[in-house]
Amino acid sequence: MSLVDLTSMAKPNKEIRGKILTKLGGIELINCFQCLKCTSGCTAFKLLELAPHEVVKLVKLGFVEGLITSEIIWTCATCLKCTERCPQKASPYHVIMALRNLAVEQGAKIPEAYLKAVSQILETGLLQTARKVATKKMETFDRKRLGLPEIKYPTETFKTVLLKVLEGALA
Amino acid sequence: MKVAVFWGCRILTSQYAYEISVRQVLPQLGVELVDLREMHCCGDIIKSINTFATTYMAARIMALAGETGLTDLLVPCSRCHFTISEARYLLERDEKLREKVDALLEEEGLEYPPEIKIWHVIDLLHDAVGLNLIKRKVKRSLESLKLASHVGCQTVRPSAIGRVDSPEMPQKLDKLIEVLGARSLEYSEKLDCCGAILMFSHPEAALTLAGSKIKALQELGVDGLIDSCPACHMMFDENQESAARVVGGRLSLPVLYYTQLLGIAMGIDIEKLGLHLNQTPVEKILEKLIQLKEEAHDGTETRSKKERRV
Amino acid sequence: MPRIGVYVCHCGLNIAGVVDVEEVTRYAKTLPDVVVAKHYTYMCSESGQRIIQEDIQAHGLERIVIAACSPRMHEKTFQKTVLEAGLNPYLLEIVNLREHCSWPHSEEPEKATEKAKELVGMGVAKARLLEPLEKRRVSVEKSVLVVGGGIAGIQASIDLANAGFKVYLVEKKPSIGGRMAQLDKTFPTLDCSACILTPKMVEVTRHPNIKLLTNAEVINVRGFVGNYEVTVVKKPRYVEEDKCVGCRLCMEVCPVKVPDEFNEGLSYTRAISIYSPHAVPNVAIINPEHCLRLKYNKDVCGKCLEVCRTKAINFEQQPETLQLKVGCIILAVGADVFDATKIPELGYGRFKNVISNIEFERMSDASGPTGGKILCPQTGKPPKGIVFIQCVGSRDKRFHEYCCRVGCMVSLKQAILAREKLGKDVDIYICFNDIRAFGKGYEEFYRRARDLDINFVNGIPSEVRSAPDGSLYLSVYEKSINKLLELHADLVVLACGLVPGQDFDRISEIFHLPRSADGFFLEAHPKLRPLESPTAGIFLAGACQGPKDIPDSVAQASGAAAKAMALLSKGEIEIEPLKAVLNQDLCSGCGICVPLCPYDAIKMKTERVNGVEKLRVQIVEAMCQGCGTCASACPAGAIKMQKYTNEQILAQVHAALTESGGVK
Repeated sequence: MSLVDLTSMAKPNKEIRGKILTKLGGIELINCFQCLKCTSGCTAFKLLELAPHEVVKLVKLGFVEGLITSEIIWTCATCLKCTERCPQKASPYHVIMALRNLAVEQGAKIPEAYLKAVSQILETGLLQTARKVATKKMETFDRKRLGLPEIKYPTETFKTVLLKVLEGALA
Repeated sequence: MKVAVFWGCRILTSQYAYEISVRQVLPQLGVELVDLREMHCCGDIIKSINTFATTYMAARIMALAGETGLTDLLVPCSRCHFTISEARYLLERDEKLREKVDALLEEEGLEYPPEIKIWHVIDLLHDAVGLNLIKRKVKRSLESLKLASHVGCQTVRPSAIGRVDSPEMPQKLDKLIEVLGARSLEYSEKLDCCGAILMFSHPEAALTLAGSKIKALQELGVDGLIDSCPACHMMFDENQESAARVVGGRLSLPVLYYTQLLGIAMGIDIEKLGLHLNQTPVEKILEKLIQLKEEAHDGTETRSKKERRV
Repeated sequence: MPRIGVYVCHCGLNIAGVVDVEEVTRYAKTLPDVVVAKHYTYMCSESGQRIIQEDIQAHGLERIVIAACSPRMHEKTFQKTVLEAGLNPYLLEIVNLREHCSWPHSEEPEKATEKAKELVGMGVAKARLLEPLEKRRVSVEKSVLVVGGGIAGIQASIDLANAGFKVYLVEKKPSIGGRMAQLDKTFPTLDCSACILTPKMVEVTRHPNIKLLTNAEVINVRGFVGNYEVTVVKKPRYVEEDKCVGCRLCMEVCPVKVPDEFNEGLSYTRAISIYSPHAVPNVAIINPEHCLRLKYNKDVCGKCLEVCRTKAINFEQQPETLQLKVGCIILAVGADVFDATKIPELGYGRFKNVISNIEFERMSDASGPTGGKILCPQTGKPPKGIVFIQCVGSRDKRFHEYCCRVGCMVSLKQAILAREKLGKDVDIYICFNDIRAFGKGYEEFYRRARDLDINFVNGIPSEVRSAPDGSLYLSVYEKSINKLLELHADLVVLACGLVPGQDFDRISEIFHLPRSADGFFLEAHPKLRPLESPTAGIFLAGACQGPKDIPDSVAQASGAAAKAMALLSKGEIEIEPLKAVLNQDLCSGCGICVPLCPYDAIKMKTERVNGVEKLRVQIVEAMCQGCGTCASACPAGAIKMQKYTNEQILAQVHAALTESGGVK
């Protein structure tokens, strides 16, 4: 018994598909019956052509390799409308997150900004450094000038544990 | 009531007006804020990298909250609120997941709290503080204002794990606006996403999403957009000009945090609400309020004011 | 000690595939008093049954233990088997090695075999103590209660009445006709619904064997199969049925407007009204929540009194309670329509031009609120574009997981009617996930819709938005052409599914009927016994058992009637002797058992015993359902449950907890 996509000659990857299904415990992507409600209301479809129903169907059939290396899984706006409205609880959003995790694991290309964010978090614990902001009148303010308390950055142990967790996933 | 508060990356590093206005307004409504001993990312962005790591990070926040001895945790950012709420939902149902996370927390002597309730600014004000108390604190009615509310997507979805308001007909923020005397409009684009997260990978698309919503609201003639999330505010306020360049035309819609609007209605000094930090022309709203206040006075006073000026 | 025969069934591979049936048989043979122990592939087959019968003769067997599937499957069969061989059928004990052993423990065959041995040991321990019992014959009432006056209830009533049975047809609304009366046309023939329904409705009123009770509800059911005692409350109409001639003059003068329930709130009727255009009985009814006189309990208004020429109006009318004795009951209470306000993103309840399929049906009906014209509620003008959205509230884990079975056919019908009424220039679209046109003539009906240039969009929209002028637009991704389409329409019709009725909980309690996971009433077996409820003597017909269309409802109704007839035709039935029996000598008359009996089968009485007045209880055998509550509560142990005596149960427990079948 075999299955092949004649346009690309791609074959299903049962192992990765199995990984995704296990990872997504309570998400019933396997129940998707292609009603297309998710894509009909997808925030990212019009501008970025993300078709969540297609992503779910490809995963169901096992055609995951193409998705993991594609840019399309990074176009999701995470608005959660698909999760909310899906009549089968298949939540394409969660499927996309699982695909992103696999993309990272497999060393596929991921948007620069995400990598920057990760390294910043590992360095300071926060997504970015505290910025100076300017008013419309071009006056600049920082937390101190605004009378806001200093940021209490996390301990080194947190960053160590976090790094361990992230590396463990990549191992 | 006393609540622990988790601000999250965006508020702490750039969206200062939200922190300022929350710190200003909430205590005056009887809510004492207790900061956590450490601040780190809730794991929102890390979700795309490794969802387990996110669960750990969110659990650590909850553990830190537990350390304060309080069982209520206020999370003003909609993305952090979802991240932490979902982590809680999973940890309370998946024993194996819980074991793994507990082991990691234990390395630092931390413990996942036995009891914790996650609040957002919207439901804390609407459900816990209550509209009646807020009404009593209103010193300056915002009667003349026609406003539009925007609740962050992740504040109200997915409803299956319990969110802050109804996913399809959220009303709490509208009621909070109306209790101040203003009108809160029902509009077709109400549930449209601001696109914030796409700034990481597809900034033009993100700005188009935000810009389209602002444009639609301008066409409806609203006086301002009221939001309650630093990501959404970044898109609608800080990035309004950039959005205008992408969608074309002129965008000039005042955008305020709800807590800023609430502060105005409570008669708090506008400097103390961080209004000088808003990038959009919020002074338009303030002018409208003052103008009508003046018109409300009787003719003599206005005349005498004019005479004095002359 | 009695001679016991043990028979272990393979049940094909159902049992033998997990349990080592040979070993269980070997084990059974080692138990004391077991004279014969055999195993066979299908004990319930003719050859299997013959083995048992031959052994009873050849070995003088006095007790039989059959280790097989659930007693619910074949206990009756095997009771007949042993009876034919000359043994009392209550000297038979069934041990469940399938539902209680091989099926749940299919992954652990060794442990399952050990358990099977223990279960057989328990069965043998009980069989040793079984006593012969006799069924009782009771006469039955040759009358039937039909609950619900929709097409199913009507059909069942007519069938029964024509066969000579007395029927009480109880309908909670002021008129019979149910959902079918609300329809304009019926698929796939496009027959006018009222035209085919009203003759049957009239037949019901004319038939001498049918007593029609409208505006009435069943509030209590007691008794047992063949002898039910039903309490019905007829709520007051405040109008005398035998005087009102249905002239409707009262409606013209009544000042109080009330949303018309029959028209799904699309129009107003009056506080005094005739329920529907073809109401049967054609008698007015006053709504006490809206009528000024009844609501405020004052001598006000009274305009209807002035115009009623037959003096039919009676504000003093009281509810009437009737006690009916019937032999069996047919439940035909129908189903409700899904409330689409539960899916706010589709705009129902927010946008006037978003309507439900039942509302469309009322509009399409010539005797409905718009005189049969399809109009946009916002403007009152005919629509230029209509979009149907399928599966609203159905096939949806958030609301009802089942397919409503009729949604597709209803929308096809309504689309065809819209085309016929509005002409070819109106755009009609149906947004669907699947089109289910499964019945006779249904696929052809689907083709007819395509012939009429009705467009099918393969995709379900996420939400509906409204333009300032009240027109509606929605985006939907079309699967076949892979494009995101935006549809702009002035009327959106939601194909709302059929759902369990709001009063099903109450009905469930009153009739002691369980429901299936989807909320509809549970049938005895989904394939082989779809018309019987698990309670003997109560049958199911129509949409209350599961959503269905008119042909299926009518078929079920006639089927249920036939079942009722089969039950009652002989004038008597046998009842099982598995009841509570009182030992008078041990009863002290403490009365603890009386309030505990869920079936009110125990009464207190005083007796003269040796010249002394003694308090005792009496168990009414006919009412007893054998639940055992009284026996477990009795402090003196004065009550014995036939075939479930304390000794028998304790012997089973003992056998389960000790080696070698509990015999020391």
